[in-house]
Amino acid sequence: MAERLKNSRTAFVAGLLLRRMALLVVLLAVTFLLVEILPTDAARATLDIEASPAELAARRIELGLDQPVAVRFLQWMGGLATGDLGVSARDRQIWDVVGQPFQNTLVLGAIALVLTVLLALVLGGISVLRPGKLLDRVVGSSSTVILALPEFVVATALVVVFALWLQLLPSVTVASSSGRPISSAMLVLPILALAVRQIGWNTRIVRSALAEQLPTPHVDSAIMDGLPRHRILVHYLLPGAIPTIAAGVATSVGLVFGGVVAVEIIFNYPGMGAVLVDAIRNRDAPLVAAVVALTGLMITVVLVASDLVRAWAVGRKP
Amino acid sequence: MGRASSITRDPHGVQVNESDYLILSLLYDTLTVPGSSPIVAPRLATRWESSPDLRRWRFELAEGALFHDGTPLTSDDVVWSLRRLRESRIGVSRLPGIDVQGITPDGPRAVVVESNYPNSDIPVLMRLTTFVIKNGTTDPADTPGTGPFKLEWFRDGNARLVRNDNWFGGRALLDAIEVRVFERPQAMANALLSGAVDLVSNVGTVAARVAEGRDGVKIIRRQNDLAMSIVMRVADGPYADPRVREAFRLAVDREAMVKQVLGGYGSVGNDVLGTADPAFARDLPQRKQDLARAGALLDEASFDRSISYPVLTTEDVPGLAESATLFAQQMQSVGVKIDVVKQESSTFLGQSRGKAPLYTSYWGTNDSVIFCAGKLMLSDSTFNEAAWRDPAFDSAYRLALGTPDPDRRSQLTHDLQKIEYERSGYLLWGMAEGVDLAKSTVQGLPQLPGYGRVQLEQTWLSA
Repeated sequence: MAERLKNSRTAFVAGLLLRRMALLVVLLAVTFLLVEILPTDAARATLDIEASPAELAARRIELGLDQPVAVRFLQWMGGLATGDLGVSARDRQIWDVVGQPFQNTLVLGAIALVLTVLLALVLGGISVLRPGKLLDRVVGSSSTVILALPEFVVATALVVVFALWLQLLPSVTVASSSGRPISSAMLVLPILALAVRQIGWNTRIVRSALAEQLPTPHVDSAIMDGLPRHRILVHYLLPGAIPTIAAGVATSVGLVFGGVVAVEIIFNYPGMGAVLVDAIRNRDAPLVAAVVALTGLMITVVLVASDLVRAWAVGRKP
Repeated sequence: MGRASSITRDPHGVQVNESDYLILSLLYDTLTVPGSSPIVAPRLATRWESSPDLRRWRFELAEGALFHDGTPLTSDDVVWSLRRLRESRIGVSRLPGIDVQGITPDGPRAVVVESNYPNSDIPVLMRLTTFVIKNGTTDPADTPGTGPFKLEWFRDGNARLVRNDNWFGGRALLDAIEVRVFERPQAMANALLSGAVDLVSNVGTVAARVAEGRDGVKIIRRQNDLAMSIVMRVADGPYADPRVREAFRLAVDREAMVKQVLGGYGSVGNDVLGTADPAFARDLPQRKQDLARAGALLDEASFDRSISYPVLTTEDVPGLAESATLFAQQMQSVGVKIDVVKQESSTFLGQSRGKAPLYTSYWGTNDSVIFCAGKLMLSDSTFNEAAWRDPAFDSAYRLALGTPDPDRRSQLTHDLQKIEYERSGYLLWGMAEGVDLAKSTVQGLPQLPGYGRVQLEQTWLSA
C-alpha cells in the first residue's frame, strides 16, 4: 500500500515536471517565431547604419538568417540540450552575456519574493485576527490602491522620495568588477519597487484565505477553548489556507519577473531585464530565447514547488 | 550609455555603445583624431602628406609609441590593423575607396594608404575607427593598445582604466578612469546628481534642464553635436518636386523647433550638413519661416492638401519624436496635414530610415561638409537617406575631393553646399548640442562635437 502510494506520488511529480517542460519548449518556439515576425532582422539591427547591401547580405548568411526559422530553432534547441546557449547577434557567447545578469536578477527577484511572502503573512494574519481595526482597514484599502500601481510608477516614486529628496538610498545601481552591485544598499529600492505591489496582492489573498477558515468547526472550538490568537492563526487557520496562499505566491513569481524588466531599467540594475530589452531591439532570437529559457526554467521550478506544497497541504488537510 | 546585449570589445567591430567606444578610445590610438580647426589632429601619425594626385597618402608614425606590454609599435602593426578594419564587416563603409592591398608599410616608421580615386579626405577617414592593435592579434578583446590608458578590468561593459605612464603623447592627467554603463539617460543623470559618478556624457537636454542651477554640477554644451533633420525623399513620391521641398523648408519655424524640442540646447540649421566644418558656407541666406511663399510654392506644384501625409519617427535620440509632432503642427499653418507615425527603433531603422517618403533623422559627425556629403548624399552612397541623385552635386563632390589646393578646395566645397542648400532632400531644422554633466571639480573636459567627446587625456580633477 505504502509502496503504491509512493509510486503514484513519483508519477505525479514526473508528470507535473514533464508537462511544465513541454510548455517551456513551446514557449521557446513561440519566442523564435515572435522575433521572426518583428520587422527587420538581426543583420540590419546590429550593423552600421551605412552598411552596404553586400555587407548586409553577407552578415545575414553569417548569422544563418537565410535558413528557415524552424531550422534555426531546432539547431538552437540542439545546442541547448548540451548546455550550449549559442552565440549572440553581436558575436558573444550567450552564456557570457546572460550569466551574471541572470544571477543578479535571481537575487533581486528572490529577495523581493521572500519579503512579499513574509510581509503578506504578517499583515494578512494581523488583519484577520483584528477585523475592522485600524490596521485591517488600512491594509484593506491600501492594498487595493497599490495593486493598481504599475512597477515603474512605484519605482519612480521611490527614486524621487528616497534618492532625490531624502538622499537616503542610491537611485542607480553601479556594478563592480565582479559584475554585481557595488553595495547592497543599491538593492533596496529595486526590491521595494518589485515587492510593494505583490505585497498588496498577497496580503489580500492571505487575509481572505485565512478568513475562509474562520467558520470551520475546529476553529470555532479552538476559539471557545480560549487558545491565544497567534496559536489559532498558526495551528488552525494557516494549514487550511496554505493551498490558496501557495497559488497566490506562484502567481506573484511570474508577476515579479515580469516587473523586473521595468524596474531594472529604471534603477540601471545589471540584470536580465536590460539584456532582454536590448536583445529584442537587436532581433537576436537566440539571446531572447536564452533569457526566456532561463527565466522560464526558474519560474517552472517555483511553480512545481508550489504545486507540491499544495498537493502536500491538501493531502494532510484534516 | 550602453546596452547590455550590444557590448562590443573588438576595436574593429560595430560599436553602438558609447561606453564601449569610450573604453576603446582610451586604450587604443588611431592614426589621427578629431580637432576643431583643422578638423584633423595628429595622434599615432605625427604628419602626413599626399602625392600630387591625392591618391597616395603617407603617414609618419610617432616615435616612442609602445604597446602597454612594452613592445614598440611598428608600421606592420598599423598596416595589419588597417587591413583588419578594411576586411571587417563594415570595412567598405569605414574605409571607402581603399583596398586591402592598398595599405602597405613604408619602412618601419611610415604607412602608405592608396585610394582608388583622388581623396583629400583620407586623413579624416583615419580619425574615428582606425584603432591600432598588434600585428597578428587573435583575441581583439584583451589585446594591449598604445593609448593613454591601460585596462585594469572589464566586466559586462563596465571597466577600470589606469594611466599609461609610457604614453608617447605625454602623460594623461587622471590616475584612473572608471567607466560605468547605463541603459537610460535618466538613470545616468540621476547617478551624477546623487554623486555616484563624476561625469556623464550625452545625457540629453531634459537631464540638462534638471541639472540647471544645481550646486556642484556643471553643464558642458558641445555645439553642433547632432544634426536634427526631416528627410524628404527626392527620387519619387510627393516630395520629388523641388518646389514642395522648398515649401516645406519655408513652412517650418526653426527657432520654435530649437526652443521647444531641444529646450534651447541647440542652434537653427540651414539645410546644409557639416555645420562645424571651418569651410561651412555661412554666407548662404538663413532660411526662415515664410508661410506666404511656402503656400504659393505648394499651389504652384499643385500639392494635394486634401489628404494627409505620414512622417515616420522613433525615440532613438532625445527630441526626435517631439520634432515630428511639432513639425506636423507647424505644417498645418500652410494647410498640409501630417500624421506622426512613431516606430520602435529597429523597425524604424530597417523599414523607414532611407526608405520612407518623409521621416525624422539624425546624424552625428558634423565637422566635415565633404564627409556628410560622401556618406549621405552622393548618388552611390549606400546610405543616401533621401534617395537624392544629383549629377552636379556628385561632380562637385569629386572635384572638391580631388583638389589639393586648400583655397580652391574650399571654393569647390562652397559650390557643393550651394547645391545641397537648394535641392537636397534635407530639411535640417537644427543642430542639437551635446550635453554632458560633470561635478564642478572636473576640469579640462573635451568641447568637441561628436566623437571628440571621448578624449579625456587632458581631463583632471581639482580639489
